[in-house]
Amino acid sequence: MRILILGLDGAGKTTILYRLQVGEVVTTIPTIGFNVETVTYKNLKFQVWDLGGQTSIRPYWRCYYSNTDAVIYVVDSCDRDRIGTSKSELVAMLEEEELKKAILVVFANKQDMEQAMTPTEMANALGLPALKDRKWQIFKTSATKGTGLDEAMEWLVEALKSRQ
Amino acid sequence: MYTLLSGLYKYMFQRDEYCVLILGLDNAGKTTFLEQTKTRFNKNYKGMSLSKITTTVGLNIGTIDVGKTRLMFWDLGGQEELQSLWDKYYAESHGVIYVIDSTDEERLSESKRAFEKMITSEALEGVPILVLANKQDVETCLSIPDIKTAFSDCINKIGKRDCLTQACSALTGKGVNEGIEWMVKCVVRNIHRPPRKKDIT
Repeated sequence: MRILILGLDGAGKTTILYRLQVGEVVTTIPTIGFNVETVTYKNLKFQVWDLGGQTSIRPYWRCYYSNTDAVIYVVDSCDRDRIGTSKSELVAMLEEEELKKAILVVFANKQDMEQAMTPTEMANALGLPALKDRKWQIFKTSATKGTGLDEAMEWLVEALKSRQ
Repeated sequence: MYTLLSGLYKYMFQRDEYCVLILGLDNAGKTTFLEQTKTRFNKNYKGMSLSKITTTVGLNIGTIDVGKTRLMFWDLGGQEELQSLWDKYYAESHGVIYVIDSTDEERLSESKRAFEKMITSEALEGVPILVLANKQDVETCLSIPDIKTAFSDCINKIGKRDCLTQACSALTGKGVNEGIEWMVKCVVRNIHRPPRKKDIT
């Protein structure tokens, strides 16, 4: 199984990747390029790609789209200024033929912060209700606190097992 | 000649597709109903284990073919906060399946309020509604007459549309086929919402 972790810079993608892999918070620096790790969850082996999220390197995301089973789209729930950018990147990504069958999981990250957006706010801000032929789900997560990740991965495992 | 050939092509390779929304409060059993339906109507579908289904905060989809008709399901999260997303789907829906947890007497009035809000929405005018009294496998559950009584003051708001209350257990599959067959019949005869034409792939 091949999973991509995408999202704007500073959303928490790398922290999530290593939370999933080693179960700890690691100190990260902005990713230029990518990190890739094998994560085993409930006997399912995932190859998880964490791609850098800065504006200049987002055009390279598409080089990694083929054979992707699921996309984890990480959004900083407190970054209301850039939610519009996050939306347009997501919309552009989902238009790609290679990702047509991929399951979309949105991590509304940084939920430990006070002004975090709720799942409904985020769904609307990202334009998710316009997606009518793709399964999607939002999870409230905090990569630094480790909350919501287990639940999300468990859901993803089941979703991947039962694709129609 | 062209018309004849294109007509033949459409007859052979296209299906009428109708979109059906699955709504109701959280924990009513909407996703379980969808999985049960997909398993029953798709021969090769290995459904997810029904016991592993968790709260939906998003959208689950599924398609089934019943004869020449294709139903496309949208199963939306039912938590109160998420109900504000429901109406984004109304304009494109051909039918609604509203799922009620028959074992949860406490939240029946809450379910009724959500139901009322939905049926009075203009964007859903004339759209057939199947009310599923779910979890009928539980012995102590409310009966169909109980639920009809609780929802009785909605009756005059239903308007001109097909509406059926059906006993069901999404877990065991009881009432699922009957419900789906009724829905197919109603969406096909509702001339006000013509189907989408979809190529069979």
